[in-house]
Amino acid sequence: MTREISVELRNVDKVYDTAKVVDGVSFSIKKGEVLVLIGPSGCGKTTTLKMINQIIPHTAGNILVNGEDVTKLDPVELRRSIGYVIQYIGLLPHLTIEENINFVLQLTKRPKKEQQERALELIETVGLPADYLKRFPRALSGGQQQRVGVARALAADPAILLMDEPFGAVDPLTREQLQNELMRLQETIKKTIVFVTHDMQEAFKIGDRIGIMKEGKLVAMGSSMELVNSDDEFVRDFIGRGALFDVLDTISVTRVLRKDIPTIREGEHFDKESKMNGWDNILVLDERDAFLGYVSIENIDASGKISGDAVQRVADAFPAELSIKKAIEEMLYGGRTWLPVAGDDRVFKGIVTFDSCAGLLSKEGGS
Amino acid sequence: MEVFIQAWNYFLNRREFLFETLGDHFMLVVWATLIVIIIGVPVGILISRTDRLKEIVIGTVGVFYTIPILALLGFLITIMGVGTRPALLALVLYGLLPVVRNTCVGILQVPEMTKEAALGMGVNNLQMLFKVELPLSFPVIFAGIRTAMVMNFSLATYAVFIGAGGMGRVIMQGIRTYNTGMLLAGIILVVVATVSLDRLVGYLDNRVQRKFSLVE
Repeated sequence: MTREISVELRNVDKVYDTAKVVDGVSFSIKKGEVLVLIGPSGCGKTTTLKMINQIIPHTAGNILVNGEDVTKLDPVELRRSIGYVIQYIGLLPHLTIEENINFVLQLTKRPKKEQQERALELIETVGLPADYLKRFPRALSGGQQQRVGVARALAADPAILLMDEPFGAVDPLTREQLQNELMRLQETIKKTIVFVTHDMQEAFKIGDRIGIMKEGKLVAMGSSMELVNSDDEFVRDFIGRGALFDVLDTISVTRVLRKDIPTIREGEHFDKESKMNGWDNILVLDERDAFLGYVSIENIDASGKISGDAVQRVADAFPAELSIKKAIEEMLYGGRTWLPVAGDDRVFKGIVTFDSCAGLLSKEGGS
Repeated sequence: MEVFIQAWNYFLNRREFLFETLGDHFMLVVWATLIVIIIGVPVGILISRTDRLKEIVIGTVGVFYTIPILALLGFLITIMGVGTRPALLALVLYGLLPVVRNTCVGILQVPEMTKEAALGMGVNNLQMLFKVELPLSFPVIFAGIRTAMVMNFSLATYAVFIGAGGMGRVIMQGIRTYNTGMLLAGIILVVVATVSLDRLVGYLDNRVQRKFSLVE
């Protein structure tokens, strides 16, 4: 699967006087991908982020945004085309929320009507009531201000978002909420996001790929599962021992669903010969494809009918958002070896088994 | 009490003269303040960009500020003669310090984070100044202008020594002619006018802060 490269760094250095704070960093980010940069403080992650929109100019190497070298672009135009969210939010206190959201549109002198419509649309996108538009930033809580910060970054509909510890200054509950909202939002907006954090769980949760930095160098880059399986001592130390479960808590069971298990609608006939695929049980669904239970192959007679009351009814199916960690816990404590999973509409999607979860651990390394 | 009755009678009889003189006084201060703003604000912005320049300029305008007013007026007579122009220059020199310093300090106290956010959104240099730095430092700059204006209103009474009229004339004439009614009328008028001016500008200051939503 090849996707267009949105941002690319080639051997980028940043030198202050004698200190090399970013040292030969190279990576590329595909369109629509979320890349998280993480590392101890002073590792150069924020500097790396700020070089992408040239708030900090790089000393050596090349930075390409949509294939163009940033040093050949007008820095003002470049920044207007990239959304920027920082930890301290930096809303302008003398402007209303609406004027803050529209700041970039106002800089580029877009029509007033368009600005108003866009602000209204965005305030709803980030989950704040529309009457907040007329308020001043001071009247909002930290979490609400950061929502406005996100709305502001999205105003000009940039393809790329740079986020520098955006949720670092809010309380843990708000942080989790903002993370969830960002992920939900990302499903529809599909921006290319570079996200800097020092919170490993946040990185696992948000990042498609995670880059770990140390003393200006990018020491590891990969998906959360790849990092968990890394042999590098620094990486293992940095992400910590409990990391595997943190990662499994961020991956939904939809990644390991088995859909090959045979199903039958209640009251219908079943063709034992061709459809068993080596399974010994058949799942039974109702007329709307919601999960009802299962039936053993022995309880299906030659005509393909379920004999009598043979259907084993079990508890409702689990939602698709269930994390693999939760699924494993559910199976361990509930004494089960598999769980049925259904979508929001209660339509059966598949089952998750111990084996399929374990398969992820070995398989992920290479994918 | 006798003197207050004299002053009141003087005020009633010479109303036109008093208000005309107060008007001159006021215009002198207004012009001085305008010139101070026109010179002081850009200078304050300029020196906020470099530490070196900042020290030199703040030091220089600080020296003007500490010269006694009579010495300065005397010096100005030797190079410019008497009249309104040297009086205006003296007031401008005194007014520069609060305006230049407050502009510089105001700009420097704009939070780095706010400026960085604005930079990240793609402001150019002029937009940074006019859309971020000046609005956010406006209350501080305005406070400097307020200081300069009110101070100049008091100092302008000295303009009489350089032949530039104003309320100083009423006071000096009252002293010289032993006209206590005139003297007191002049004093009360200038005090009331100064306090009123300070209140008025203070009210404007408050409005400005509200507009820029920096106070509840």
